[in-house]
Amino acid sequence: MSDLDYPADLRYTSDHEWVRVGEGDVVRIGITAFAQDALGDVVYVSLPAVGDTVAPGDACGEVESTKSVSDVYAPLAGEVTATNAALDASPELINTDPYGEGWMFEVRLADTSALDGLLDAEAYKAGLS
Amino acid sequence: MTTATSGKTSPLHDRHVALGAKMADFGGWDMPIEYPGGGVVAEHTAVRERVGIFDVSHLGKASVVGPGAADFVNACLTNDLRRIAPGSAQYTLCCDESGGVVDDLIAYLKADDDVFLIPNAANTAEVVRRLRAAAPEGVAVTNLHDDYGVIAVQGPKSDEVLDALGLPTAHDYMSFVEADWQGRPVIVCRTGYTGERGYELVPRWDDAPALWDALVEAMRPFDGMPCGLGARDTLRTEMGYPLHGQDLSLDISPVQARAGWAVGWKKDTFWGKAALEAEKAAPRRLTRGLLVTGRGIPRAHCAVTRDGQQIGEVTSGTFSPTLRQGIALALLTPDVADGDTVLIDVRGRGVEATVVKPPFVQVQVRES
Repeated sequence: MSDLDYPADLRYTSDHEWVRVGEGDVVRIGITAFAQDALGDVVYVSLPAVGDTVAPGDACGEVESTKSVSDVYAPLAGEVTATNAALDASPELINTDPYGEGWMFEVRLADTSALDGLLDAEAYKAGLS
Repeated sequence: MTTATSGKTSPLHDRHVALGAKMADFGGWDMPIEYPGGGVVAEHTAVRERVGIFDVSHLGKASVVGPGAADFVNACLTNDLRRIAPGSAQYTLCCDESGGVVDDLIAYLKADDDVFLIPNAANTAEVVRRLRAAAPEGVAVTNLHDDYGVIAVQGPKSDEVLDALGLPTAHDYMSFVEADWQGRPVIVCRTGYTGERGYELVPRWDDAPALWDALVEAMRPFDGMPCGLGARDTLRTEMGYPLHGQDLSLDISPVQARAGWAVGWKKDTFWGKAALEAEKAAPRRLTRGLLVTGRGIPRAHCAVTRDGQQIGEVTSGTFSPTLRQGIALALLTPDVADGDTVLIDVRGRGVEATVVKPPFVQVQVRES
């Protein structure tokens, strides 16, 4: 597990997703190194539509590997403002660069204070062991 | 991601742990699913393009020995052993009297009084029990599950890898040679479950680790990979090869699974003959291939519909690394024809697919 990293500048959920806070109230969301490793080769990703309103815990997409499928959950409430179209043709980006080119979607938060309810890297890692 | 299970372990277990393989239960055995540095797609591609080795020591091994052993096996299992000569192996089925499949297995005809069987891991004890109960005086049926390992060497570079070990190669598809490797007996059978040219090696249990290590070294120049059961499943599904428990079972007969080619219909007797002959006239469902044309990956038990009517369900489904599309085997009503368009219900979403005749990818096993 030592080769899997969890950047300190991200927030995390117990569903193995990460949240990157950017400019203003828009956050970027993806799955963690642990999640992509557990899934194995990702071969198909479905994402919410831009304009969708999501609530915390909503199953709003799927990430599927050769072996299994997992729901993608909205970690926070808000409106979907962007999705990563590159994943259509290259779903393996989730394996090769889960925190970078393998990002999944962006949400304009309804309430930025909800970020405080997410885990930091240390707390997320503690939950894995 | 190594998960501790209480399953039985192969003679190569230490090798898999040292490589950091992801392990999972398969038929009661703790087996490698994929290896670091590989993964299902890379391991699959290694076998299609180069070579890969698989530990399949979980497979069962059993012997049927004694005067008339081959005739006895022939009177039980479906395929006709008289179609092959000693030195050849045959795919066959162990059915019950209702025509349901207890197991599918490979029978190695060593001699008229000596047949070696490779059943599936989870079914070995039951196959042995049924044969033993039926065996005539003088024919011994012995479960040798833990006496042998099994290593599959599969892919276009298989011959080069075996050559490097001084093992025999290029014998006919489905034939085997009882060879010697460094003074240890190894059966080299030209069989496999991938659709590629390849071999299954059957060493003694305790000789398996040294043979594995030698194969790992020998495949290095060819960029070969150790491959897990994940890739084995995608490879076999691309070929349309059935997996017992999914595509064949006590509830799915060889007639339904279109494995009638492995039934010796003209034989006087075999288990399930009457039921299968009766079913053959009008099977209620038949296995078909489904090539997904939309986006999504079918999985076992996904419902299949046509014009809004359910016409069956998926028995095996996966992502084809070769085609980069979803593929499936499905049991459908018999009026379905190749070329028909159907919908597969993938977790509530209708995914379009075309009915096709497997294999999904060209078979290479018989090339000389």
